[in-house]
Amino acid sequence: MKALLIRLYPTHWRARYGDEFLAILEERALGPFDVTDIILGALDAQFRLRRLGPDPSHGRGFTMSLRIGGAAAMIGAPLWSAAFVIGSDTFAGVDPRAPFLLMIAGSLALIVALAGLSAFQARVHPVLSWLAFALPAIGTVLSLVGAAGTALSGDGYFELFFFGVLTSLVGSLFFAIATYRTAVLSRPGALLLGVGTIVGLVAGNGVATELLTVAGLICFTLGWLMLGVRAIRIDGTAVARRPA
Amino acid sequence: MERRIPEFGRFAEPSLLILVSLSDGPKHGYAIMQDVESGTGRPMGAGTLYAALARLEERGLIEPLPPVDRRRPYRLTAVGASDLAEQLRGLSQLAQQGLRQLGEPQP
Repeated sequence: MKALLIRLYPTHWRARYGDEFLAILEERALGPFDVTDIILGALDAQFRLRRLGPDPSHGRGFTMSLRIGGAAAMIGAPLWSAAFVIGSDTFAGVDPRAPFLLMIAGSLALIVALAGLSAFQARVHPVLSWLAFALPAIGTVLSLVGAAGTALSGDGYFELFFFGVLTSLVGSLFFAIATYRTAVLSRPGALLLGVGTIVGLVAGNGVATELLTVAGLICFTLGWLMLGVRAIRIDGTAVARRPA
Repeated sequence: MERRIPEFGRFAEPSLLILVSLSDGPKHGYAIMQDVESGTGRPMGAGTLYAALARLEERGLIEPLPPVDRRRPYRLTAVGASDLAEQLRGLSQLAQQGLRQLGEPQP
């Protein structure tokens, strides 16, 4: 995979930096954060080569950061919760497509969050971190197909949509475990997220009561929000904390 | 003096962190990443590191040294050191002004 990632960069860039860049990639396990950052770095190099951007000499580039991951978490989790709430019987008059759209938008945001917030976890628990990223990615595709199928041909695809949602939840659970075990960002946030996803999975199988489902949803949302806020705070204080 | 780092757009902050890391001597890429991460508590990806290194080298603020076992160290140039000092003085003045306005004790 490392050789493939380097091939995303322009030829002249590889000729200059390729060897030392590969040496760095071989130093530690790559997680979703690192791979996303390298893909964005390759895009930046390609754009600079083609003189694209607002200022060709030093145009704005792309970079993956805790800030992006944190913001995505703070957007994605409320969208997920809103999808569940709007999809409940209480909101029977709402356009039936609304919960599907909210769920897909929330899932996409949470995939970005999982990439942006997984840098440190991936170095200690690479398999868990990759599963935490891959399962929601697969789950979102399944949900998307399920939602499109449901919209076009009725309830036959709803089970696929719901299976995608549960798959995404398992990904969030793995992320919570990796974060808690690595002791990064916010352990209470990871704990809340873990509890929320477990309750969500139980509720998905029709076992939990309505009250427990609401409690799980609140834990899930609060957990992601706490992790997102913590990530943004760490990113925001980065320069200030560095001794000059 | 012309202020160069703010022109680096999204890479201004990584560039500043890299220059600070190189201020105590030459380092190769992985050592810079570790230094920045341990100093800030924030991860720096290899993509961001090399995008910033390329810009800094292009502007003559750092220069590469001969590689050692595929790892190439970089060091600050005289222009880079002077530019970094100017940036840090600016940040320090801003911090002091902010602390003064908040009524907080200043270092």
